[in-house]
Amino acid sequence: MPGRAARSAGPDALVTFGRYAGPATLILSSLADGPKHGYALTKDIEQFAGVRLAPGTLYEALSRLEGQGLIEALASEDRRRPYRLTAVGAHALRAHLADQRRVAEVGLGRLGRNWGPA
Amino acid sequence: MSEADERRVSEAGERRAARMLRWYPRSWRERYGEEFAELLLADFAEQPRSLRRAADVAANGLLARCTRAGLTSHELPPAEQIRLGFATLCCALAAFLTFGVAMLAQLATGWQWTTPRSASALGGSVAMSIAALCLVLIVALGAVPAAWHAAVTAVRSHDGRLVRPAGLMIVSGTVLVIGTRHFQNAWPGTGGTGALHGLVPAGIAAFGWASTLSVSSFWVHPAVLGTLPRPELAWMVVSPLAVVGLVAGFAAVIRRLPLPGWLMTCLSRLSVAAVVAAVPFLGGAASWVLATAPGRAVLFRPGLINGGELAAMALALVVALRAVFAIWRARASRGSAGKATERASSA
Repeated sequence: MPGRAARSAGPDALVTFGRYAGPATLILSSLADGPKHGYALTKDIEQFAGVRLAPGTLYEALSRLEGQGLIEALASEDRRRPYRLTAVGAHALRAHLADQRRVAEVGLGRLGRNWGPA
Repeated sequence: MSEADERRVSEAGERRAARMLRWYPRSWRERYGEEFAELLLADFAEQPRSLRRAADVAANGLLARCTRAGLTSHELPPAEQIRLGFATLCCALAAFLTFGVAMLAQLATGWQWTTPRSASALGGSVAMSIAALCLVLIVALGAVPAAWHAAVTAVRSHDGRLVRPAGLMIVSGTVLVIGTRHFQNAWPGTGGTGALHGLVPAGIAAFGWASTLSVSSFWVHPAVLGTLPRPELAWMVVSPLAVVGLVAGFAAVIRRLPLPGWLMTCLSRLSVAAVVAAVPFLGGAASWVLATAPGRAVLFRPGLINGGELAAMALALVVALRAVFAIWRARASRGSAGKATERASSA
């Protein structure tokens, strides 16, 4: 939104994104590699996660991330505007991925013990 | 593909992207429209037709509109959230009052001829009459200072953005009042005993009836509709448009108006009072519609349309309640942000 003041977000900021938490994590993970505009984000996410974010979902998540100060817009390149990860966004992504890794490790460990190795 | 063909395809894509962007509110389009259109064009090139994309854009566009109305959990910056919350509250209260006044006018019409015998109709009428008076007073207490502040701001700052919605509001309000005054002479309550008026003065009941003439079950009975005088039929079409113009104009003014602290505090308190006053009104209406047995007391017998009015009022009240929560949450967040800044500067 015009003139939107980015608010500082804590490390658990992504939890408040509801059903946009997944797309937001993918976007932040993509931006961790460097600034990208909408189409580049879609292609990168498709490549590393096998998920193609639809345009509406991508921009709703971008708008929320920008509103929370987790990403910031850079100057436009023609009609495309790149976004980059902020320090707050990097901190939130790190915390969120660490939580997810703990869950993944517990799940994989239990699967290994009770259902045999993959 | 020739250059001319490529240009045609590109122009068609631009038009398609522009059409899809209409799902989003203007402020969103101003911020993200260009880059979003660029992404859509790239997506069109890869997937010319996609139902999933169309549904996704529509759903997220509507979500962005709901967010702008303060109806989602996604928070906006406090000052913006407060203004949008007031605009949403204003629209919700207008819808509530339109259906409520139509229902109360129906009860007042019956009461002109005879006292309601059922306790539900009697209690409902009394509760609705008192609550309606409170609601009208609260709305006036909020609308008068807001309109005054808007007029002063428009004159002092020459803010052109306020002129068009203010003009729409004035024209719509004038049409509504003049038309209503003209058609209220045909009020069906006229000619009753005059001894038993209930709590609503006949003139006010007639005004309420004429201003909400469009809230009618005649719309699903074309044969009856055809027998109505042409001017009355025209008024049934024009009056809701006038109400929409009046409310949309007022909401747009509130949305664009920088609200000073005193007005924000005043409107915030009044918004709570309005929601509180709407509850007994809805309760009275529900007690009449849900508790009155069909077949008894013809003048006070509720119909299907009253059930619809009740549902619309309940929905409007929920929206109003959400808007009030959003306003107070934003005010609290603004207050805590201000205190944090003060602490930081004193440290």
